[in-house]
Amino acid sequence: MKKALALILAVLMFLPVLAACGGEASKPEKEQSAVQKIIEEAQGMTLEELAKKAIEESKGKTFYGVGNSSRGKSALPVFIEYLQSIDSTYTLEFDWQQPKNNKIFDQLTAEAKKATGTYAMTLIQDGNQIENKMVKTGILDTFIPKEWAEANKIDVASYKGYLALQTLNKVFMFNCTGSKTFDNCWDYVAEGAHGQFMDIDSEIVGKNFLYMLTADKYAGYLKDAFDKLSDAEKAAFQPTIDEMAQTASEFGLGENGKYALAWIKLWVGSYTAVEDDGPICNNLTDASATDQFGLLVYSKLRSIEESDSKSVNNIKVAAYEDGYEGIGGYGYCHYLFVTDNSPLPWTACAFIAFMTCTQKGFEAWGKDMGGYSSNPVVAAENEEIHNHSKGGTNEAGEVVYAAKNDRGYDWWVGDGELVLEDPAYCASVAFTVGSWIETLDKYKG
Amino acid sequence: MQKNLYAPASRWTILWNKIKTFFSKPQNTILVIMGLVCTFSTFAPIVAIIEDTLKIHPGTIDQHLTGQAAGFTAVNYTDLFTSSIAKAHLWTPLLNTLILAVGSCAVAILYGGLFAFLVTRTNLKCKKYLSSIFIFPYIMPQWTLAMVWKNLFDSMAVTGTKDGLLAGLFGITMPSWWCSGMFPSLLVLGLHYAPFAYILIGGIFRNMDANLEEAATILNTPKWKIMTRVTLPLIRPAILSTILLVFGSSMGSYPVPHFLGLTTLSTKYIELNDRRTGQASILAVIMMLLGVAIMYFNQRSLKSRKSYTTVTGKSGQTSKINLGKVGKVLIAVILIIFTFFTSIFPIISFAFETFLPNPGDYSFLKTFDSANLTTKWWVTNENVTENGMYGQKGMLFNEMIWKGFAGTMLVSVACAITAGVLGTLIGYAVSKNRRSKLAGYVNSVAFLPYLMPSIAVSIAFFKLFSGGINLYNTYWLLIIVGTVKYIPFASRSSLNSMLQLSGEIEEAAIIQDIPWRKRMTRIIIPIQKSSIVSGFLLPFMTCLRELSLFMLLCGQGLILSTQLDYFDEMGLYAFSSGINLILIVTILICNALVNKITGASLDKGIGG
Repeated sequence: MKKALALILAVLMFLPVLAACGGEASKPEKEQSAVQKIIEEAQGMTLEELAKKAIEESKGKTFYGVGNSSRGKSALPVFIEYLQSIDSTYTLEFDWQQPKNNKIFDQLTAEAKKATGTYAMTLIQDGNQIENKMVKTGILDTFIPKEWAEANKIDVASYKGYLALQTLNKVFMFNCTGSKTFDNCWDYVAEGAHGQFMDIDSEIVGKNFLYMLTADKYAGYLKDAFDKLSDAEKAAFQPTIDEMAQTASEFGLGENGKYALAWIKLWVGSYTAVEDDGPICNNLTDASATDQFGLLVYSKLRSIEESDSKSVNNIKVAAYEDGYEGIGGYGYCHYLFVTDNSPLPWTACAFIAFMTCTQKGFEAWGKDMGGYSSNPVVAAENEEIHNHSKGGTNEAGEVVYAAKNDRGYDWWVGDGELVLEDPAYCASVAFTVGSWIETLDKYKG
Repeated sequence: MQKNLYAPASRWTILWNKIKTFFSKPQNTILVIMGLVCTFSTFAPIVAIIEDTLKIHPGTIDQHLTGQAAGFTAVNYTDLFTSSIAKAHLWTPLLNTLILAVGSCAVAILYGGLFAFLVTRTNLKCKKYLSSIFIFPYIMPQWTLAMVWKNLFDSMAVTGTKDGLLAGLFGITMPSWWCSGMFPSLLVLGLHYAPFAYILIGGIFRNMDANLEEAATILNTPKWKIMTRVTLPLIRPAILSTILLVFGSSMGSYPVPHFLGLTTLSTKYIELNDRRTGQASILAVIMMLLGVAIMYFNQRSLKSRKSYTTVTGKSGQTSKINLGKVGKVLIAVILIIFTFFTSIFPIISFAFETFLPNPGDYSFLKTFDSANLTTKWWVTNENVTENGMYGQKGMLFNEMIWKGFAGTMLVSVACAITAGVLGTLIGYAVSKNRRSKLAGYVNSVAFLPYLMPSIAVSIAFFKLFSGGINLYNTYWLLIIVGTVKYIPFASRSSLNSMLQLSGEIEEAAIIQDIPWRKRMTRIIIPIQKSSIVSGFLLPFMTCLRELSLFMLLCGQGLILSTQLDYFDEMGLYAFSSGINLILIVTILICNALVNKITGASLDKGIGG
């Protein structure tokens, strides 16, 4: 028995070595995959032409999609209705999955090894991981719809970016049932402050937010906000900022990098991890959550059902307050891709075009504040229909829920000092700043 | 002529005849086939995961450190064990895992053992009720109590999230160590596994020779000495068995430490997997090594247990300690209250949660205004994104939930049948060849997956079946993994029952030239029907509520437990509570049905 086990263990030890010997040989330049060829063709077609191809391909079949947003499930029936408006006999079953805990990358990687995958397309976030794990490895392919390229005045042949469905913002909000205010972004990392935030190891875009703070532009925002603090407040943060100077220099960050690292260190050491933005919104809108605050997806305000305990009026958007200084939140994209082994590539392209080039297709996200279509035509049309800038105002023009009056994308990236995700920058600091963040002690309550 | 008749056969002929003779016995054929199957199903995933620890994964730390996008490296080992993150990523989770496993064992043994003692050795009131209700936490999904704990003790002031029931209604806040981390995790897991201790220790208490304790009493031995020198040594084998079962299971638990905010190897695996994939696999290998260590101790304890068999003979006498008129009622009342909170309250709590307008919104309990209740989580029959529904239909009309329910039933039934059949065959073959090395090997290798943490088994199968043979996100994969993991339930149950069968019964049938298939289906299986049924029942029940084993192998839609995890992560507690409720009710109905039909029950014979 012992000998047998020893033999098995010995074989186990050597197998990887043997596998390594026969491992990666240099591969010739890869040919275009079947899906890539279809995409190339599809990029020259209008939505209507794509729709006809989709009808031909998927009539009576099941469409599987996977994404970081649950709204794909709401968008699909509208897409089917659109196809039915062209062919009334068209039917399509669908299944939309939203894996949590970053599992979407594992799921797509595992699926990619099948000759024909399960998922036709994906709606995915986290530019850093998308670039390294999905695009460079050939798991996902970018499809740029003709109308989207025209609206954005982009030449498809030379365009190297991804296709974003929308930019979403996570904004700082606080419970206003007490007297405490948050008028500077350094207030979130002050002594005793514990903001609610999705854990950075659970939702990686949260970590990207921290990476982005070290970019010159946003580190500058933090420095400017710091300068507006009172002397007593400055004195509280100064030791941490000084402590970070050496580390910032080791990472090759700009002159204000130490402010970013100090803010990050204090934030990681103080935030209360919550499993999703939905519960954060629920928690903060409760009458008992006096003086609590968090960084959460803006659109979650829409999920609150008014009750004796909960109200959207129990919450304020920090950046909307007069005299507020510093970053107001974080913006990141939802990207759309066709899987390289998509079972229904034409339908995937048509669905992607439908979501990015028509207001109806974007409606599942468009009816919420805090999500901005990447297609300027759709964005304008959507604002005209939903009037998010007055989303908290009733028909009589009275402000009912001030927090719901979305000031729009342009305001957020300007006055709102929204920190925007840049996949390339995130990738460049993921294993310098990123590894340093891993060494920080998280707040445990 | 004479010479030719007695000419020695060639070596090959002898070998061939030996092989033919060997395989003419069905038990030998079964052992060879099952030996191969179990070796592959146990070791192939281990090879796959070890390979993963050495592989370079695009977009992760190993690519960054080696500067290569593919190939093999040892950098994951050196970085995990020696870099500045070793404490946070390895040593602290490892220590927490070991403390959690040991603590859970202690809680399970103390609570389950004390309960077993009170039920079997005293004149406690309401034994039958208490015995039935005590095993509820084991029947329910293990995260049930963790969720109840959060709903009860979370508070804005301490956990910084929301006010739970105690804080919201009565303003009572518990300290941080009570609300999350090690203490609640080991308590919850201990309570979940206490029925193991109750069943194992209770079985011995019930059958124990009371003469031994009485003899000690006559010799004027102090009570504490009787307990430490007589009673405890007698139940030592049962304590050891409980430790072996609980240690492995709690070590690999993902949902409980995850919900209660404790960093263990399993939660760290999930956390690291995106950017330190190879290092996460090393954590899985460590969990597996701990599983192998448990098997080693199991083998040693099996040997040492033999020495107790002479003193566990039944005397037929029972000696019940008199708790007194007040004591027998008072203790029963205390236990009834306690078991209410561990067994009944979770069901009420989950049901109530599905009628709240917002997750954790207890306005109704403060105002008793029915406007603060809703049925939207059950009866919404359209795709709504407002009011927290996130495009989900109510549970009664939600196709995804009912598809998941059907998937759960499919996986559970398939696992029960395959694990049951294979386990029964292994038990039969091992019992027939109990002294052979092959039988010993098959018996051990088939049991190994049970001692390995579920999440480690899950990771290993994920690595194995997400490559060339790709079964990811299919029922096939769940059934294969469930079968491998749960064969031990059936093989142990079958082995124990087969060992009770005299060989003469089957020999008589062999003399009558009755084929093996008929011997099994007409004689052996009918005689040991109830034990064999329980070998099918346990995989079925366990599969219904399994999360750690399946969570990495499929998307959230396939089965109910992964859907529950999904809804919980989304903060849609009404849905996760509703699914929990559906699972609990299904398990209780199945348990009651099986009990009614076969008479089999987990606590059978102990409650009196």
